[in-house]
Amino acid sequence: MTDRSTFDGMMSRLQAGDRLSADEIRDLAATPDILSLGMLADTLRRRLHDRRVTYVRVAQYSVDHTWTDAIPPGATEVRITGVPGSLPLAVAAVEQARAAVGTRVVSGYSWTALAALANGGTPMSRVLGELRGAGLDAVAEVPMDSVGNLDTAVDALKAAGFDQIRLTIDKAPAADRVALLIRAGALQDRVGCIRAINPLPMLLSSVRPTTGYDDVKMVAIARLAAPHIDTVQVDWLRYGPKLAQVALTFGADDLDGVTASDAAPDGHRRAPLEEVKRNIEAAGFVAAERDGRFVVVSS
Amino acid sequence: MVEQIARAVSGGARISAEDALRLYRDAPTHLLGRLADGIRARKHPEGIVSYIIDRNVNYTNVCTARCNFCAFYRTVGSPDGYVLGFEEIFAKIDETIAVGGNQMLLQGGHNPDLPIQWYEDLFRAIKQRYPDFKLHALSPPEVLHISRLNNVPVPAVIARLVAAGLDSIPGGGAEMLVDRVRKLLNCYGKASSDEWLGVMREAHRAGLRTTATMMYGTVETDEERIEHMLRLRDLQDETGGFTAFITWSYQPEHTERAGIEATGIDYLRTLALARIVLDNVDNLQASWVTQGGKVGQLSLAFGANDMGSVMIEENVVRAAGASYCMDEVEIVANIEDAGFTAKRRNMHYEVLGDPIFREREVPRMLSLATARADGDASVPEELRNYPARSRQGKQLRLAQ
Repeated sequence: MTDRSTFDGMMSRLQAGDRLSADEIRDLAATPDILSLGMLADTLRRRLHDRRVTYVRVAQYSVDHTWTDAIPPGATEVRITGVPGSLPLAVAAVEQARAAVGTRVVSGYSWTALAALANGGTPMSRVLGELRGAGLDAVAEVPMDSVGNLDTAVDALKAAGFDQIRLTIDKAPAADRVALLIRAGALQDRVGCIRAINPLPMLLSSVRPTTGYDDVKMVAIARLAAPHIDTVQVDWLRYGPKLAQVALTFGADDLDGVTASDAAPDGHRRAPLEEVKRNIEAAGFVAAERDGRFVVVSS
Repeated sequence: MVEQIARAVSGGARISAEDALRLYRDAPTHLLGRLADGIRARKHPEGIVSYIIDRNVNYTNVCTARCNFCAFYRTVGSPDGYVLGFEEIFAKIDETIAVGGNQMLLQGGHNPDLPIQWYEDLFRAIKQRYPDFKLHALSPPEVLHISRLNNVPVPAVIARLVAAGLDSIPGGGAEMLVDRVRKLLNCYGKASSDEWLGVMREAHRAGLRTTATMMYGTVETDEERIEHMLRLRDLQDETGGFTAFITWSYQPEHTERAGIEATGIDYLRTLALARIVLDNVDNLQASWVTQGGKVGQLSLAFGANDMGSVMIEENVVRAAGASYCMDEVEIVANIEDAGFTAKRRNMHYEVLGDPIFREREVPRMLSLATARADGDASVPEELRNYPARSRQGKQLRLAQ
């Protein structure tokens, strides 16, 4: 943050419902003053969501899962992971998941996995149409740094009826992510169907992991750069309770990927659900469980 | 009200217990961070964040204290109990020096079979082999234990240990300096609040510098956390002997007390509050070993000016479920990523220089070492030279 008057000016504008410019976002991203950045993002977050933080319990299954086990009753979203070998296999997995979970949300696949299917000669519109027809409610990940043409991808998803798009990032470094987040904000202004953005990398590097500063800064930048994207998420399992909780004070309003069952071999000290609620409340927020359609189911 | 207190703190005023409680409970997290960060910037305007390359060695895990929050100790006679041999400790020092270290943090259980001569001989042997190597050793409860075991007054224990080579005393064993809490944690017997502070007072009078710590997140109230800080602040006003304050959350895994760990936000708020309350302590460490590297780094925005130790070895926190590791490369990357200049320091917080890995090649360290390899039940030969107090210890000596 350059000076107090710049900060105060930005704060006043955010409180009045204004948004920051792309240049201002870039300047904010360049500052090590994460507290000022966090205050700005938190102000916008509270304007949009007040004290509410949502979380979703997700049961994740590989595309080759046999679907013979019972789906955890707490899961409000079933997410198919992995890269299907062919469109029929991708469709079959969705059909089986749909049959197994009834009316609960079925999401699955990354855009890049679907694009690989389309590369075999099948038009993307047909890939998306068949999956939608089989019961897929949402494409799980649209990684902004891997999709190629983001506008084309989002338009194709929208045309196929996927109207709650979730933007993610695979592995772009922090410096590149700022531009992607600014782009996401501009894209939402045009399409209006982006429901959530998850600004932290899905692919974690053990050689050069992201830092705490990187993470909270990107969460805050996502909130400020894309004020019309309702939900800024942090992945509970990937990033862990401590970072995820702190991120809630830097603009995030949703915890994605909460486990639907307690899979620890010796059990946890607290059930995952209780741990999520405890962390949300200890950060000064009110916890609300949502389903895969972003509808609050209990609070 | 919070705004009024914040203005006073920003203006450099000393905070009262009542106002500290108000800030801790009611101030937004970012505001607490900003106040703490402002104090850090005033005390360290050069933008340096320091760290030390040292090794955290636990010379024994045998302990009679039986604190119910500890997962590390073993009872006297336990087959898992160990005492490190002098040669083992020398080897650890060699490894520490090889990666640029200049100090050992040496702490252990209250072992009734180690008389004061054992410590004196160890310290002398270390100083003879490694004259420039620093010994940051024996927390106040250990000093008390040695005093009681050997019927030697605390000032005399400190004098004898200093004569043998002790350089400074770590602030371990403070837990929460409130006797109600200490009784519930079963650590009142090892040292009451007054006794812990009394050992530090004696150490400071003897010319030693020490650190101060606080373990929170067990049974204490918010008021008691602040009481702990104020007791440290009072002693610091009196002696000026504390170089740094380190706080960490109770780690519950595998402990008798069990329970759950305080959250990351609680850590950052507690750290920030400590920076505000402890206006006479220059340095605050980030506890990445309990909070992980990410929240550890974020500590630098909430009042910390030091990333603590590279550690090389850690046994106590690991036993309670946390196993984070950061070598010098990663610590420096985190400091610089946060916009600070990374400098190596000694225990007195004097800058020693730039990162050692930029001066010469140092092997990367991706996990922390342990006191001993699993299954190593060897008994050091030199132990036979020291009389044991416990029945089991005496039997062991006879069998040697």
